[in-house]
Amino acid sequence: MSQGLLSGYRALDLTDHKGFVCGKILAALGIDVMKIEKPGGDPDRNIPPFYQDRKDPENSLYWAAFNTDKRSITLDIQSPQGQEIFKKLVKNVDFVLESHEPGFLDDLGLGYQSLCDINPRIILTSITPFGQTGPYAHYKGSELIVSAMGGVLLTNGDPDRPPVREGPDSNYFQSNAAAAAGTVLAHLYREKTGQGQHVDVSQQEVAASRSPSNLLVWMFDKKLIHRSGNIRNVGARSTRQFWPCKDGAVFWMFAGGRERASVNQALAQWMREVNFESPFLNISYWEAFDVIGLPKETINLYQESIGRFFMKFTKKELAEEGVKRGVETCMANNPADILEYVQLRERHFWIDLEDPDGQKTLTNPKHFFLCNHTENYVRRRAPRIGENNDDVYINELGLTSMDVAVLKEAGVI
Amino acid sequence: MSITNNQALTDIKVLDFGWGLVGSITGKYLGDFGAQVIRVESSKRMDMPRMNPMLSMSSAKNPDDKPWFTHLNTSKYSLRLNLKHPKAKEVVERLIRWADVINENFSPGTLTKLGFDYEFAKAIKPQIIMVSGSVYGQTGPHANRGGIDGNGAALSGYLDATGWPDRGPVIPNVPYGDVLVPLISITAVAAALDYRRRTGEGQYIDSSMLEICTHQMTPALLDLVANNNLQTRNGNRVIHAAPHAVFPCLGDDQWIAIAVFTDDEWNHFCRIMGNPSWTKAPEFATLESRKQNEDELEERVSQWTRNHSAEEVMKTMQASGVPAGIVQSMQDLYEHDPQLKDRGFLVDLEHPVIGIFGHPAPPFKLSETPAQVRTSPCFGEHTRYICTEFLGMTDNMFNALEQQGVFE
Repeated sequence: MSQGLLSGYRALDLTDHKGFVCGKILAALGIDVMKIEKPGGDPDRNIPPFYQDRKDPENSLYWAAFNTDKRSITLDIQSPQGQEIFKKLVKNVDFVLESHEPGFLDDLGLGYQSLCDINPRIILTSITPFGQTGPYAHYKGSELIVSAMGGVLLTNGDPDRPPVREGPDSNYFQSNAAAAAGTVLAHLYREKTGQGQHVDVSQQEVAASRSPSNLLVWMFDKKLIHRSGNIRNVGARSTRQFWPCKDGAVFWMFAGGRERASVNQALAQWMREVNFESPFLNISYWEAFDVIGLPKETINLYQESIGRFFMKFTKKELAEEGVKRGVETCMANNPADILEYVQLRERHFWIDLEDPDGQKTLTNPKHFFLCNHTENYVRRRAPRIGENNDDVYINELGLTSMDVAVLKEAGVI
Repeated sequence: MSITNNQALTDIKVLDFGWGLVGSITGKYLGDFGAQVIRVESSKRMDMPRMNPMLSMSSAKNPDDKPWFTHLNTSKYSLRLNLKHPKAKEVVERLIRWADVINENFSPGTLTKLGFDYEFAKAIKPQIIMVSGSVYGQTGPHANRGGIDGNGAALSGYLDATGWPDRGPVIPNVPYGDVLVPLISITAVAAALDYRRRTGEGQYIDSSMLEICTHQMTPALLDLVANNNLQTRNGNRVIHAAPHAVFPCLGDDQWIAIAVFTDDEWNHFCRIMGNPSWTKAPEFATLESRKQNEDELEERVSQWTRNHSAEEVMKTMQASGVPAGIVQSMQDLYEHDPQLKDRGFLVDLEHPVIGIFGHPAPPFKLSETPAQVRTSPCFGEHTRYICTEFLGMTDNMFNALEQQGVFE
């Protein structure tokens, strides 16, 4: 059992940072993904952070994070010779992934139609800020911009400050998962019918599709959800879900109802045992306690008191003791906590991959999901610039080393 | 429910025990792309989106007047079935024989307790593909803990990274892992279907929200492992761009997001503001110096944006290739955004109780086999139809089971 669900298929990856993750996911499924870089290296190798803070195209940890398992060849697809080589490669692959401005590949004679003429089975997956069509198709985007235009950003943050972005590049990540899904669905259809297709992912649409409930609140009730700090705003049921503690924060949903009775009772019991005074202790019949229908002031009173209680503990104390007591407090992990987290360790979530210097190893996330009959996970560090040129150009495409030297001289590879 | 046969998942049959967001959306996408999806529901355990009276048009009692449930469950059939009923097994066995894929996101262990887990399904149909969604995964010391979207966000480091450096983290007002897990799960299911086609072998897929969400933290994790640098909240700022922020515009709660990465973008940006003299000062000449004086930079830019509408700023900036976007509200998305409209982001569907309203299309478009989104079913709407047409029961068999209360 050493192969992935899609081992044996091949992809060419022309993406920039907007689309790295799609190929990473496909490579973890076993697809041979060849990253095509400009001669000299992909410009997005300049994205920080850098390995040992040494700024160098081979040291970008952002690049390293999201290009695992790929092979790298250098090729200038803007030169006529480069285009010929690209077309030869297209004959023998199953997928092409890209994130250029719509029309860019068409202008080079490498658009979907041209690729189709070469290989009618080809699946072209395009990941762009606003999609292939429409009045904003040529607008520039970034994680922040697509989050803004997709309606995610406005509702995120404190009420007294501007909207604030999600920490990681979340909308990029979501749209790359969407692209991977579309690519594999298209592949299924292709294997059945022989027909390839063009997969079109708009990062704005992916962001917009994340908020069905907020959208409905406008569509039906003409109300807008507003920024609410650490309260998840869901109308009348809005309560605090996120609480600072001594050294960080915990996630804990303040809610009532029968389902939360035992949790609330356990919290009250804990308060009582450490002689913490709280209006929460005046509640006697937990089955009947609910925050729905309570005046806002009363909810705030409870929340203020619970907040003071959590402040007495560290996040680890709250996570460990809280769970033991059935309070279900959940730690907000920072990167250091994540690496130590027992659940991830026990599920063998980590894999050590060679560092950019080839001297030591770096801990990386391993699988996107677990499967019983196949192995689908990250195995190899991201490639160095053009690391696989000889593999691909000489061993697979049949060029001579002389040809390669000439092409290098001409700046094509 | 007419489906043309040129869909990616035509002929694929899905037994859908999904609920909440993760399970519902996973089944929905499979249905939107042509699979026949039977959603199993029971009055003994109503799905939360069927009951949540979030909107004024929704009642606490009627399971069929919830636009939210409808959004999450397009393109499915609904089968009413009490899985705890002693005779439920007769129906479930038929469902498994019918199905190619089983989708579920009960708390880990629940299907085993009910007697309908992967081993059971595999014994009936060796080629079955089953996908389980959960927060922690199906194994490991925390597998049995309860959890929702916020737990996945907290545990994966997403929450700690989100907010202002001088304040605690903020929680996003949109789902995070709940909408991400389905995309990975359908990728895995589609890949497993292709693997089955080639090898005849089925698959069990274990999708954990915690793990999927942790992947996007990889640059921060590597920064810690390699450089001992512990990243945390940084507002809207990123290391390699400035300005990179959200600025106030004319009007109430109106904002523009601007992201200037390159010198070229910076020069255009300054020109559009009318090349004010401060932009020529050495404090703002290079990305490095702008990063060092970012507070002042953002204040200066705000003074300019305040006098303009967000739409005007976006259009002028974008015309010169500077990344800028209106911080849009749901009203903007629904009523104004010409891009979403042009691309058919919302699909109008008629629901028998709610009427005609817009449903978001799946977030990826397939040129030859576009999604065909159909309205979501009323509670138990297809129970008899499924049993007699799909599962091969006679009317008498169905009636007998119904009388015994299996379809509650």
